[in-house]
Amino acid sequence: MNTDTLIPKNFNKLLIANRGEIAMRILRACHELGIRTVAIFSDADRNAMHVRQAHEAYYIGPPPARDSYLLIDKIIEVAKQSGAEAVHPGYGFLAERAEFAQACLDAGLVFVGPPVNAIRVMGDKQTARQTVKAAGVPIVPGTEPGLDDAALIQAAEDIGYPLLVKASAGGGGKGMRPVHKSADLADSIAAARREAMAAFGDDTVYLEKMLVGARHIEIQLLADMDGNIIHLGERECSLQRRHQKLIEESPSYVVDEKLRQQMGEVAVAAARAVDYVNAGTIEFLVDRDKNFYFLEMNTRLQVEHPVTELVTGIDIVQEQLRISRGRRLRINQADVKMSGWAIECRINAEDPYNNYLPSTGQITASRLPTGPGVRVDTGVFPGYEVTPYYDSMLSKLVCYGETRSEAVLRMRRALEEYRIMGVKTNIPFHQHMMDSHRFLTGQFDTSFVEERFSMDEREAPHQLDAAILATLVAHQQGQKASQIVAPGDRDTSNWKWLGRWERLQK
Amino acid sequence: MKYFTTVGDQQYTIEIDHDNKILVNGERYDIDFQPSPEGSVYSLLLNNRSLEGLVEEREDTWEVLIRGELYEVQVQDERAFRLAKARGTVATVSGDVNIISPMPGIIVAVPVSEGEHVSKGDKVIILESMKMENELRAPRDGVVRRVFVQAGAGVEKNQTLVLIGDPDAQGEESDEA
Repeated sequence: MNTDTLIPKNFNKLLIANRGEIAMRILRACHELGIRTVAIFSDADRNAMHVRQAHEAYYIGPPPARDSYLLIDKIIEVAKQSGAEAVHPGYGFLAERAEFAQACLDAGLVFVGPPVNAIRVMGDKQTARQTVKAAGVPIVPGTEPGLDDAALIQAAEDIGYPLLVKASAGGGGKGMRPVHKSADLADSIAAARREAMAAFGDDTVYLEKMLVGARHIEIQLLADMDGNIIHLGERECSLQRRHQKLIEESPSYVVDEKLRQQMGEVAVAAARAVDYVNAGTIEFLVDRDKNFYFLEMNTRLQVEHPVTELVTGIDIVQEQLRISRGRRLRINQADVKMSGWAIECRINAEDPYNNYLPSTGQITASRLPTGPGVRVDTGVFPGYEVTPYYDSMLSKLVCYGETRSEAVLRMRRALEEYRIMGVKTNIPFHQHMMDSHRFLTGQFDTSFVEERFSMDEREAPHQLDAAILATLVAHQQGQKASQIVAPGDRDTSNWKWLGRWERLQK
Repeated sequence: MKYFTTVGDQQYTIEIDHDNKILVNGERYDIDFQPSPEGSVYSLLLNNRSLEGLVEEREDTWEVLIRGELYEVQVQDERAFRLAKARGTVATVSGDVNIISPMPGIIVAVPVSEGEHVSKGDKVIILESMKMENELRAPRDGVVRRVFVQAGAGVEKNQTLVLIGDPDAQGEESDEA
């Protein structure tokens, strides 16, 4: 076991190197376990929920993340100053930066996450592919990087079409080209090399088979320092837009017990190949014939972890903290039982009727849905400012049901109940999806949202009601205003009258 | 009082009288309308059908949230409606339209140039903000009259980026340019 970079220590005070809903999620797990919490905040977050609810909070810099939440030295300094013994990175920001994990260890802080080496290996696409392939994990058929054009064209015949030309240093779709027939291959390779050179200063490309109609399904793992690795089943994350997940569920409509077991075993093998410790996720592409291929490993807590928590009953963040304190897993694979169905909708500040344009501004009102089977993870409250500095996710609305249909019905109810004003949200997108025949019958893949789902046909059903409400409010305000500015008609002062008027309205 | 209320492409005539009744396009409803201490939350019993909505005033419209959907509503009383009609500023989709930056960010690309014809939904500006590239699209068919920004420029919220005008107004404009 190569876990020498992890120091188990029974820490009692932890710094949360993050913000927003995930900072709240970690804070809650810590407080439940009696761990004291240290929050950090930028100028934009002085009033944030995680700052108010943590035991201590430290200012770290201006709003842009590169001047605050990404400052490794500053965060380590705050951890030391506050007497924190451990650091939880959450997701995003520094969560998958090996140098941050290393800096924590160098400072004698427990990093609540995997060993530095696992982050490093899984963080590099090609190294990750080669490492898991050597461990017998299926990967999407393709070439190694570094071949010349002639060799690539040769290799394409074996891989078959359609395929993708991808930049080795790539990310975010840059330097990536789909090719549907051999006649287009040479041009696409040239274009991808140009793009890759311009974007990353490196024109190395490789080919990968393009899986048509594939679904994105991932396996949640937990691993302790004694080498015990278990999986907590799958999450279906195919509903995405521009590689951003929007809706996740567990279990998946297409995964049966046999496939779950196969994928789980392969995921455990992939994690073992890097001596993984703590919570992690193996992402797979699953094709129509239920062949599955390794996509990547996320060496951190995932945004969508709550759906797994609801169907397994396991608190993943608490488990992370226990593992980092050096405890053995309390359960083995046979103890993991999935029961019921959970769906998560990411509520984002964006306008589904206007090309999902992000919406900024102050939250003027927020009332969260509650009731049976409903969980909301959020850091947003009335008065909260949605700024362009951080991502647009306002909350995660998670619903649980005995069956998938029960979870969907509950999600519809909860979406209707959710009251949030001040910015536009994608709640209507989720409502439209919950009504969509293809969603209800589980017939979707990773291209569904972008290629076959449109808000155009959605009939907003309450136009008349909206008109009446707005008119009544406008009328009331007009009356109020005209009564204030029309003196003489009444014998009392306007101020007295206004006071009476307001009491009458209550 | 009589109001002219517009939601999307629907216009309603709503008359409010003093005895808790309203007329909507001539049809009579009993109302019981209650504001709540929660600020913008309002409860309405409309012929005993219970409606709850959040209503907030914006610059010259009202935003109403009902069951997850957000509606932009324009309410004009008779006087305002007649004035607007006389000035030709009743909510329409003709005339010049400014494409305005909805948030601070950096212009990644301007896929249109001055004088170019655009159709509703065409990409006009690509703006990077909130870690994402966002496409701003033409709200209607027209001609690009002015482009105020170029790729690489930093922009503030509510900054005017592109002006789209009527196709037939193109002739007059080209004289100026």
